[in-house]
Amino acid sequence: MVLEKEVLPFFTWLLRGEGATFADGEGALVLFAIVVATVFVLALVGGFLVSLVRHGPIRAGEIAYNTIVGGVGELLRTSFRRVAALAAVAAKESVRRRVWVALVVFGLILLFASWYLKANNTQPARLYLSFVLTATTYLILLLSLLLAAFSLPADFRTKTLYTIVTKPVRAGDIVLGRMLGFTLVGTVLLAIMGLGSWVFVNGSLAHTHRVDIESLEALRSPDGESLGQRGLTSYDVYHKHDLTIDTDGSGVAEGAHSHTHQVTQNGDRLEIGPAEGFLRARVPQRGKLRFYDRKGVETARGISVGNEWAYRSFIQGATQAAAVWTFEGVSKSSLVEYADGGGEYLPVELIVRVYRSYKGEIERGIQGSIQLRNPDTQVKTNLRTFYAKDATIDSFDFANEQTSTDQLPITILEDLVTPDGRLEVIVQALDRNQYFGFAQADCYLRRPEGSPLWNFIKGYLSIWMQMVIVIAVAVTASTFLKGPIAMLFTVAFLVLGLNREFFVKIAQLESYGGGPVESAVRMVTGMNQMSPFDPSSAVSVMKGIDFVLAKMMLGLSYVLPDFSTFLGRVNFVAEGFSIPADALTRDLIVCLAYVVGAFVIGYFCLRAREVAK
Amino acid sequence: MPAEAVIETRALSKIYRDFWGRQKVRALKALDLEVYKGEIFGLLGPNGSGKTTTIKLLLGLLFPTEGRALVLGKDATDVSKNERIGYLPEESYLYKFLNAEETLDFYGRLFDITPEVRKERIEKLIKLVKIERARKRQLREYSKGMTRRIGLAQALINDPDLILLDEPTSGLDPIGTREMKDMILELRDQGKTIVMCSHLLADVQDVCDRIAILHQGELKELGRVDSLLTVEDVTQIRARNLTDACQNELRDVIARHEGELLEMANPTTTLEDLFLSIVSDSEARPGRRVVGTAAKADGG
Ligand SMILES: Nc1ncnc2c1ncn2[C@@H]1O[C@H](COP(=O)(O)OP(=O)(O)O)[C@@H](O)[C@H]1O
Ligand SMILES: [Mg+2]
Repeated sequence: MVLEKEVLPFFTWLLRGEGATFADGEGALVLFAIVVATVFVLALVGGFLVSLVRHGPIRAGEIAYNTIVGGVGELLRTSFRRVAALAAVAAKESVRRRVWVALVVFGLILLFASWYLKANNTQPARLYLSFVLTATTYLILLLSLLLAAFSLPADFRTKTLYTIVTKPVRAGDIVLGRMLGFTLVGTVLLAIMGLGSWVFVNGSLAHTHRVDIESLEALRSPDGESLGQRGLTSYDVYHKHDLTIDTDGSGVAEGAHSHTHQVTQNGDRLEIGPAEGFLRARVPQRGKLRFYDRKGVETARGISVGNEWAYRSFIQGATQAAAVWTFEGVSKSSLVEYADGGGEYLPVELIVRVYRSYKGEIERGIQGSIQLRNPDTQVKTNLRTFYAKDATIDSFDFANEQTSTDQLPITILEDLVTPDGRLEVIVQALDRNQYFGFAQADCYLRRPEGSPLWNFIKGYLSIWMQMVIVIAVAVTASTFLKGPIAMLFTVAFLVLGLNREFFVKIAQLESYGGGPVESAVRMVTGMNQMSPFDPSSAVSVMKGIDFVLAKMMLGLSYVLPDFSTFLGRVNFVAEGFSIPADALTRDLIVCLAYVVGAFVIGYFCLRAREVAK
Repeated sequence: MPAEAVIETRALSKIYRDFWGRQKVRALKALDLEVYKGEIFGLLGPNGSGKTTTIKLLLGLLFPTEGRALVLGKDATDVSKNERIGYLPEESYLYKFLNAEETLDFYGRLFDITPEVRKERIEKLIKLVKIERARKRQLREYSKGMTRRIGLAQALINDPDLILLDEPTSGLDPIGTREMKDMILELRDQGKTIVMCSHLLADVQDVCDRIAILHQGELKELGRVDSLLTVEDVTQIRARNLTDACQNELRDVIARHEGELLEMANPTTTLEDLFLSIVSDSEARPGRRVVGTAAKADGG
């Protein structure tokens, strides 16, 4: 699974971010404070200038004073009773406007999906999950956008607002009431969609097989003792399983298409149970990745470069090249008891991207090796080989008792983990001229797994948070814009938020072809992106405008929500990884910050507006 | 006047501007007004004379271009004054998807009143404005008159001290008009202050204690209705069952005192009175056609 960025522990993120200390000012809290202060100053200066032009300096000063003192005072007088009443009406309005049609649409989408999505994928759970989660996200965002952006402008147009603002209703009550009302409606719809999705995904994945009687063969030990049976299941929904059955008739249909089945004996018939393990909530403990090049020299990166979280580097097969992960905090609690009670093991999982320079035998996969190593003493376990298929998760259970490369008996806890809890995992490709590609998130120690249902709910929570942000922004936009414009504004906010990194790149004048004006000029004149301009005053002006624009864009980028992060959370669920609690808390705080920010801005915009204009 | 002023405007002016700040209309020019506690004050003027603008300024729905308005001792833009104000807009701007009960409940919740009092008031108001039979129907199904009634009920939900009514009788039939006027008088008798505006002279004359006449945004006349309307040099006598002889005698008396007789004739009733009597008659005896009997009804 590709992780775009490391998920920082919550307080690290809040207080110091990527910086080393709080004083570096990269913590989310500091950035938030800077944004708030900047918006406050800009709004104050802007508002003052406008009233200066309209009313002259004395009135303007008075207005500014009243706005700050009276405005803040009234903001605090926002009453829950009135907010609740207004929210209830907003919710009623949505219901009378037939929002539940969205549920019908959602039902149709699921119906369409069940007919269109084929489970011939090796990871059908991922397919179904990412489909329903994406469909829900877009549907609910569109819906909340429509509800939130058009409601207040409609009240202005029909003048129903006259009757409301002539009651002791503060502008803040109106803004918050809308946000709350639509959030309520959205939450109910989302909950229903979530329930529908859960039933749909489980229903779509549910299947069973029959035992292929002809394939069954008895297993015997060399001295003729019966060890059970081996065989195959029938071929259903694009796959079949290998069967191993004990002498007592119980057994498993082994992992295929990322799930298993239990086999039980019922009289003289073997029965295969429902599919298990489709939905996962793996909790990975991640390490730091570094590489050895083909000569065995340590490098930060393998072949090809990029952000180690987002991009994969490749190691060449049958050379000294290797990928090495260092894990910290490995201890007894990292080990898991074997199900049959025969000792403990360290669960390691690995995702390999395979790059073939020649075709080879596709079915077999590419051979690789994995070892554990003590980073201090360099003691290593014997090579353990495996066949890697592209982009699938390989699980390795390393028993605590191992044999070192010197053929000595060792244990993981005593000989491979350093006193301060570090352990290395080394992976190499063994086939000549084939390559393995790795990113930092591709190897992890598997911690006890979370509940898939709870993880699914967490995925929906992150959709919910996106919905809340969209509602907050749309309601605020609608306090000063007409409905369709408020909607466009919010959509722009969303789209820019989704492409925030690209936007920041342009703003930092890092992208090819210069800033916005320069790119436009290059496009219109059909000029190549790299060739420099002849120096002239026009070019200086162009660069000057670009510089100012870029600074403004950079400023704007600070208030854009990072929607790609939110969408990334949904990927966690689809890929079967537990959404880290740190990520969830952080998203919740970000969401709250947007709601508060949008509320305050919306309050002042609505307050400054002449309702009967 | 010793009474305390509930509304005070000082050089209140409003200029409507377009998006670019260019002047469009000077709707109100330096209005100075005082409205006292317990009176019915009428704003009279032709369409477009600035009546609605004045009311909106008093409510803080518009911000004054110049001057200021004090309502209940607070600035007109201060929201907290609304606790004690009721407002019936020109047209009832209510949510059409709510029914009468839901509407009153919603507006009631915007005030700091207990749920019991709120319920009690809703019952009382629904009866007062006579929409009991339509209380569960969505407002989108309401006729103009019913909408007006629920609009008034909504304005009274907080038992306000000051009530602002913009064209309260517009869209009402004569019976509705009569009832509305009676309600206004009753509210005054309960000690409330009422400001209403209208272009219907009869309405204003019937109920208002004092009036201001606006024309093109300027205050033209201000004073008590009775004193404004009294014609000093004319005396009116109305009597019933006078014989011809008696009438002639009266003529003589007037001539002897060098008065000028302007008119002595049988009066015609007003169409309003005729209409009201026909309707009440028809309600008393349903189904019967009423022809020719109404002429007897006297304009008293
Ligand atoms: N929102 C507005 N924008 C521009 N002009 C307006 C607006 N509202 C009212 N006016 C103008 O202001 C004047 C006074 O209007 P109004 O107060 O509604 O009159 P009245 O209520 O006495 O009929 C009219 O000329 C009207 O056209
Ligand atoms: Mg008017």
